[in-house]
Amino acid sequence: MESQLLDLAESAIKKAEALGAEQAEVYIGSSKSFSIDVQNNAIKSARNKRDAGCGIRSVIGKGIGFAYVTTLQDEDISEAAEKSVRLARSSIEDPDFESLPRSGGRYPTVSGLFDEKINQLSSEEAASLILRAVDATKNELSEMKMAIEARLIASSDFRAIVNSLGIAGSARGTTLWLYTYPTVKEGTDQTSSYEFQLTRNLSEIDPEWIGYTSAHNAIGNLGGKIIKSDDLPVILAPLAVGTIIGQGFAGAVNAEEVQYGRSYIADAIGEEIASDKLEIVDDGLLPGGLGTRAFDCEGVSSQRTEVLVEGVLKGLLHNSYTANKEHVENTANASRPSYAGTPSISSSNFVISEGKGSLDDLVEETERGIICRNTGDRPNMTTGDLSAMVMEGLYFENGEIQHSLKNTLIGINMRDVLLRATRIGGDTRSIGSVIAPSIVIESAKITSG
Amino acid sequence: MEDLAQAAIDAALDVGATFADVRIENTVTTIIEITDGVSKDSLASRLKGAGIRAFIDGAWAFAQTTDLTTGGMRETGESVGKLALATKTKVAEKFEMEGPVFKDRVRFKVKVPFADVTFEEKMAYVKMINDQARSFDKRIVNTRTVYGDLWTERYTANSFGTSVWMENSLPRVISVSTAKDGSSRQRSFKSFGIRGGFEVYSLERPQNLGEESARNAIDLLSSVAAKGGTYDVIVDPVLNGVMVHEAFGHACEADNWPAHTTVLEDKLGKMVGPGHLNLSDDPTMEGQRGTYEFDWEGTKTKKRLLVKGGILRELLHTLETASRLGMEPNGAGRAQSFMFEPLPRMSNTMMEPGDWDVDELMQDMGTGMLLCNFNYGYTEPSKGQFMFQASHGYLIENGEIGQMVRDVSLAGQILDILPKIDAVAKDFEMEAGTCRKDGQMVPDNSGGPHARIRQVPVGGM
Repeated sequence: MESQLLDLAESAIKKAEALGAEQAEVYIGSSKSFSIDVQNNAIKSARNKRDAGCGIRSVIGKGIGFAYVTTLQDEDISEAAEKSVRLARSSIEDPDFESLPRSGGRYPTVSGLFDEKINQLSSEEAASLILRAVDATKNELSEMKMAIEARLIASSDFRAIVNSLGIAGSARGTTLWLYTYPTVKEGTDQTSSYEFQLTRNLSEIDPEWIGYTSAHNAIGNLGGKIIKSDDLPVILAPLAVGTIIGQGFAGAVNAEEVQYGRSYIADAIGEEIASDKLEIVDDGLLPGGLGTRAFDCEGVSSQRTEVLVEGVLKGLLHNSYTANKEHVENTANASRPSYAGTPSISSSNFVISEGKGSLDDLVEETERGIICRNTGDRPNMTTGDLSAMVMEGLYFENGEIQHSLKNTLIGINMRDVLLRATRIGGDTRSIGSVIAPSIVIESAKITSG
Repeated sequence: MEDLAQAAIDAALDVGATFADVRIENTVTTIIEITDGVSKDSLASRLKGAGIRAFIDGAWAFAQTTDLTTGGMRETGESVGKLALATKTKVAEKFEMEGPVFKDRVRFKVKVPFADVTFEEKMAYVKMINDQARSFDKRIVNTRTVYGDLWTERYTANSFGTSVWMENSLPRVISVSTAKDGSSRQRSFKSFGIRGGFEVYSLERPQNLGEESARNAIDLLSSVAAKGGTYDVIVDPVLNGVMVHEAFGHACEADNWPAHTTVLEDKLGKMVGPGHLNLSDDPTMEGQRGTYEFDWEGTKTKKRLLVKGGILRELLHTLETASRLGMEPNGAGRAQSFMFEPLPRMSNTMMEPGDWDVDELMQDMGTGMLLCNFNYGYTEPSKGQFMFQASHGYLIENGEIGQMVRDVSLAGQILDILPKIDAVAKDFEMEAGTCRKDGQMVPDNSGGPHARIRQVPVGGM
């Protein structure tokens, strides 16, 4: 199967070249997934998905065209090759484009990306895992009025990247995602919470922990109150760090955004932009990491890139285009959603170094402030202004939790988030491809009402 | 297509399913992005495949295939039927599926089909808009223009006998400008999208979208961050649409009822807002981005009066939610593509106009904020919580427009916000958008008139 798909990619390259492409690149993705949904405390549906398709990038002069199709049939691939060449011809040449990447020799060895147990997971095993998580949620909620939603998705995928300059790579991977989302009611009060694990290895899944934690937090979210608007310390729990730093800062060190002058950290390489407690690396080689890969989405060998060292901005995340444009090292951060998209830039595993102490320790030390457990908000990437709703949060005073929060917003610029991150916890967890502990932000504008 | 769909449906029924349906899709898109005068992305795609569902006694199964042969469809139909049967043993809540039968074939005629326009012509339009933004002011430091066209044909059939073919054609253009002055950097996002062919790009607004975003980015250079606090606010038509969508529309999606995940669960038929308030969702509006004749389950669409006279009257249904709640299906089942199952979704969502004059509304308020346009928004109906962000706004003092402010966030509770809407103007405007739910993106449209909301928390720096 794998060598067949590599052959298919080689033949697609030849098609594009025969139509006039000077360079061509083919990305073939093939995946299967099995998923189960729980609604109102019981299994409701199951899904079997198989997806395979092909994306072709053609280069003529400094013009680039891209086309993809959701099948691997010969006539469809021919149509995609033909369209990508036509688009390359009609596009406006980009003087900064130099070349597709060349082969740099052997790929590094990475481990823990494929688990045969996930690949072979039966529908019975999958049902048992999700029901264990649901039972653990029910147990914790005991007599309360509840409605539990849950989902399990087991996927395995294969991808192959080939280009006309000698790049040829293929890799397999598996992931398992399990979450529970209980809604609880008490009188007229209603709230919910969410907990999940997303991993490449079946042995890491702990359905009882997921169920218990989501239920425990849902109970804690009942009785939400507003507080007096004020400047207060904010403890960002790992889920919130995953969104605010994992997206809001990782997106700002994207070299393309910086080169175009669209990032709030423009021109800051070598400068102290963060508290000296904050250390971040982008690690494409982390064993078993969700963002781990031997090569990026252009087929370039993965690496470990220092982003923040003692608060100093060390480097940006590049793909071949942005690295060539500035004549700097390509950090192999090319990413694409699947065969169905052009390469952009994103972090691989964005790892924030941990400090010491549990969330409880941080609350005790900080004395008064709020915990933001979760938010869906990202900053304005150009100004850095962040106005984030506390989706799940708690108010604490004298080092003790007082109550949960409603209608509460955190206002702060991302530059201040980085500078005021003066205390880092030891409670590291993975939130997808972001590895993060809790972080205390010394002060932010809290609006509640 | 009819024979292929029937092969899958028969195979699913043969192994024991009591209901089955099929969506076969063929979609062609072009996306062209020009940044700072040069091509950034030029992308063409074809989506081709079928999604098949089978149902028995409250258990669903779904599968997709790109093998559009009789054999491929039969095989997928059989496997999805078996999966539904296996799932049935673990299902707690049993129910039956019911639904009306529709047979139709709806051509969507456009003046200039996207397929008849060369890539060069499309590229020339994108370059024109990009140049417009670049040359607007020397403080404009980055310009992105993204063109997207989509033509789709979709055939839906089910075991009740529904057989509907329809096509759609959606043009869209986005212009994002970044301005810089000293250390101040600002960005403006503007977009346009309705229903039609390539001729739509000749309309006045899409011909001037580069200038519109560049002007807004320059204006933002003199804006200040809003000061957080509780304010009386007036939302403009675009932001009003986003508010209706986030703060209320999602909570009206009927899949929340069997799942018990909306704070509106006990509110059907009850007052949820002031008596003058009317909110609706209307996929039958002519020529809009959220318009379609039949939904992804093949149900004919109709206008949904979600809130009429302040009372929650109607929900957004799929065949399943209508069957389980004993209500009329209203064609709200939408899916991103054949790779997904239909869910209850919004289309063209709006607050209906009232009788206030916009100037009067401002005068009457005295002090507060006028909030305009949007960056994004989201909601969790199970918590009853939502937030959305205006891209900019203005302080209102003595009824007059004052200092420009930016990135103003507004958070609130679904059950609290509607009663705070005390005045609705008589103007009306809609804006194109894209809505995300459960990992599925669908094109939508929302809007309304200017409206005033009393005492809401506004986030600031």
